[in-house]
Amino acid sequence: MATSKNAKTGRRDFLKLTAGAASVAGIAGAPWIARKVEAKPSTIVFARESSYVKNFDEHFIKVMIPAYQKATGIKIDYQIQAAGGSAVPQLVSMVENKSGADLAWTQQEWLYRDALVDVSDIAEAVGKEQGGWYDEIKLLSVDNGKWKTVPQANIGQLMVYRKDWFEEAGIKQFPDTWDEFLEAGIKLKAKGHPYGMSMGHGFADNYSWLYPLLWSHGVTVMDKAGKKVALDSSETVNVVEYVKRLYKEACIEDCIGWLDPHNNKAFLTSQISCTNNAYSIMVSAKRDLPDMGKVIDHGLNPRGPAGRFHALVPVTHGVFAYGTDPQAAKDFLRWIMDPKQYRPWISSGDMYFAPYLHAFDKFPDWDIEPRVKPYHKVLETGKLTSWPAPANRAHGAVINRWIVIDMFTKACTGTPTKTAIAEAVTQLKQIYG
Amino acid sequence: MVGELTWRKRLLGLWVPLALFYVVALFPFTWMAATSLKTNAELYNPKAGPLSIQHPSLVHYISLLQETNFLTWVANTMLVAVVATGISLLLGTMLAYPLARMRFRGAPLLAITVAITYLVPQSLLFVPMADLIGRLKLGNTLSAVMLTYPTLLVPFIAWLLMGYFKTVPKELEEQALIDGASRWRAMTRVILPLCMPGFISAGIFAFTLAQNEFLYALLFLSRSDVRTVPIGVVGELIRGDAFYWGQLMAGALLGSVPVALIYSFFVKYYVAGLTAGAVKG
Amino acid sequence: MGRVVEASRAPAVETRDYRPLRFGRLREFVERESVFSWLILTPPILFLLLFLGYPFFYGVYLSFFRREVTGPATFVGLGNFVTLANDPIFWQSVGNTVKFTGAATVLKAIGGLGMALVMNQNFKFKALTRALLLLPFIVPTVLSTVAWQWIYDPGLGLFNRLLVTSGLTKTGFSWLGNPTMAMISVIIVNTWRGLPFFGISILAGLQTIPVEQHESATIDGAGTWDRFRHVTLPSLLPVIFIVTTFSVILTFFDFQLVYVLTGGGPANSTHLMATYAYSLSMGAGQMGLGSAVALSMVPVLGLLLVLLTWYVRKD
Repeated sequence: MATSKNAKTGRRDFLKLTAGAASVAGIAGAPWIARKVEAKPSTIVFARESSYVKNFDEHFIKVMIPAYQKATGIKIDYQIQAAGGSAVPQLVSMVENKSGADLAWTQQEWLYRDALVDVSDIAEAVGKEQGGWYDEIKLLSVDNGKWKTVPQANIGQLMVYRKDWFEEAGIKQFPDTWDEFLEAGIKLKAKGHPYGMSMGHGFADNYSWLYPLLWSHGVTVMDKAGKKVALDSSETVNVVEYVKRLYKEACIEDCIGWLDPHNNKAFLTSQISCTNNAYSIMVSAKRDLPDMGKVIDHGLNPRGPAGRFHALVPVTHGVFAYGTDPQAAKDFLRWIMDPKQYRPWISSGDMYFAPYLHAFDKFPDWDIEPRVKPYHKVLETGKLTSWPAPANRAHGAVINRWIVIDMFTKACTGTPTKTAIAEAVTQLKQIYG
Repeated sequence: MVGELTWRKRLLGLWVPLALFYVVALFPFTWMAATSLKTNAELYNPKAGPLSIQHPSLVHYISLLQETNFLTWVANTMLVAVVATGISLLLGTMLAYPLARMRFRGAPLLAITVAITYLVPQSLLFVPMADLIGRLKLGNTLSAVMLTYPTLLVPFIAWLLMGYFKTVPKELEEQALIDGASRWRAMTRVILPLCMPGFISAGIFAFTLAQNEFLYALLFLSRSDVRTVPIGVVGELIRGDAFYWGQLMAGALLGSVPVALIYSFFVKYYVAGLTAGAVKG
Repeated sequence: MGRVVEASRAPAVETRDYRPLRFGRLREFVERESVFSWLILTPPILFLLLFLGYPFFYGVYLSFFRREVTGPATFVGLGNFVTLANDPIFWQSVGNTVKFTGAATVLKAIGGLGMALVMNQNFKFKALTRALLLLPFIVPTVLSTVAWQWIYDPGLGLFNRLLVTSGLTKTGFSWLGNPTMAMISVIIVNTWRGLPFFGISILAGLQTIPVEQHESATIDGAGTWDRFRHVTLPSLLPVIFIVTTFSVILTFFDFQLVYVLTGGGPANSTHLMATYAYSLSMGAGQMGLGSAVALSMVPVLGLLLVLLTWYVRKD
């Protein structure tokens, strides 16, 4: 656990900082705790997609919310959004209706950054006190020099697999290259333990292997400037053909329609031997199916000719401008990012959520379970799905319309490869304008 | 039915098909009930019989009622359905009465316009509707849906009521007018009271449509405490990777009960309403 | 002037009303049929103009603009429609919607007719049966669809469990994972839901066919099937037509069922125009494009209805 000395210094600095920020904001420089005597909202609504690690949400509900209420008198209304894709339309609806939550886990923020307030003061303070931010996440959260969201953590995505079934099929080490991955899958499917590689309209379990697959073959979706479509490279055909083979010869039929929760379900009901996922499957198994929990392991994404890649799945928090009291929401956000709250909260999640702050590089929780360590590597080397192009609105449209994902699934369900690629390229050109 | 009915004919022509219809119509509800009463251990056990319950348990119902806002959703749904139905009946009557019983310039044009509104999909309306609701600052209030549901219900209620209004003889109205009553009196005191069955059947139909609405509720009601049952159940009972099937089925079953109860009292009128529209057109 | 109305004909009107009315001229004006009508019509028309008319025109207007969430609206003329014309998923959604509506309507009509014929006999518990068989139609769509999701589950769902334990298939089907099966699954749920509506309405139609028509046909030597074809069916045609039209419209616009059951997948094989419009507007924040999809629904539906009318009129 974090040493109390660090926490004390941190708090003092933080208080100084907020006092400064508060006075700058026009309020007589009283520290944030005392501000409760002024007219404050009685409730702040905080919307987040439900966590795949139950303890994380429970820690928030049972420990943090009461603590905040005790300290400030403000009740936090924690709105849990169903997992599996309903969060984004809800967020869009809130932004359009100009009503809803005061702050939220701002998924797909590249669609609606304009509706968020500037949180540079919070982000810079947090970065300063906790070892500095990873550069990659700044590409998402910083828009035109201003922080629009405060990154909370990365959900690392790796290949999650059944070590026992792999060994039964004669595969001792997790496949290192994509070709080995395919071969292993064919063997496993023959034994009745197919892969379940998500390819539906989700946001994490599909992007986190399909995009690295492209990248590791030297293919990117757009060029670095985000102006020219790069998907129509000659290698793309090979990649699509690979996915076709993988689907037909190694995967369970259903996975073509899987959203983010489905592969967890399939894995935990013993229907698949491998999938790309976060740490949550192991957490659920260890809790509910201990025998399965013993034989789960994690492998890095296989490498291709151009290297080995992983994708980041960022969790960021933003405050909505339409709220009745954005400053109160900001105060709350600052509070939860304070090490005193933040560190126990991250701990409760078993490192499913890995902070984008270097102060956590040596966090002791990484050492509790050796099989979680590879997720830290993801944090170090992972790229945003927009890589190498800017994380802008056009990219958001591509992600939320699954242009590239559909290219793969179309090819897997009968469309000729060249047609599927051409259609995707046309759509990209239309979106990027 | 005309023709001789032998025992065999009756079996094949009535009992067998009837049993088939019963099974097909009701098996999902049986499934809902069975699933909601099983513990998670039984639920996820691939060897357990689908419809047999070894250790019936109310655990899902309890957690549904305690850990979620389910009861609030039910209350919201009922309130919204009642108010929206009331508004729609009022406006629907005002729309249907003149069209059914009076002659006035522009009547055919109006009738066609009302009919055309059926061809407008909700899908076209929901973005502007969200804008309108935002401007009126009604986001996340039940008023948002109470005011928007009538747009779906009024044209339909008007159509149903027109059928009923047409069946009241003109002579009654004429008689009342001769006797010195104003048109308003004639309408409210003479004709409308005779159409009570029509109001009940239109009202019940509107009620069931209102509590079945999904899209507007999905868009306007994102806060848990203002949600209706359909969007609450679908939007909040999937936590992480766990589809809380036990709770989902319990919620689905409980959510169906109020409307099934109400409808069971008024099924006579409901059927009359359905058929009046279809048969009398 | 004052004469009491016969009680058997209408409720008694109070004698008070027989006094000469004040504001005679104004009252006279209001009593004119057309004026009275329009006065009564004003509140509902105003309401519909505001809450239906305004969104409709705005929706149509929006489809000619590029409007992304929190962004400004820029006029693009027919740009959105050109984009959609080149969008394979749009065309897929059109095809899916037509397939879905067509197949489900045919199944519902045939099944409903069958149900009506069966119910048109005399048996005990007829009223109860009518009530119970209507349940699929009454219960909120989303709730029963959630149950169907579980029924279709590949491992633990009812269908596959029955198929596997009865030995008919080894692993069951991928009801929601295989593109073709998914469309079939969606059609099944919609049929299940809508069949009672057809059944009850056609039943009412059946019950209005005068018995004499059947009797004279039998006297003329017509068998059961002939009677059905030449007496029953023609009389039922108007009812079937109205119910079918209504059902086609509602099914064409359906959103809830697919949204909950498959979300449009797998591989967009169940994406309907309604769900695609939603996905574009609320999922990708491209509201102009979403509105264009929604607007495109109207001509496609119109075409379907014209075809339906032509087909029925043919006979």
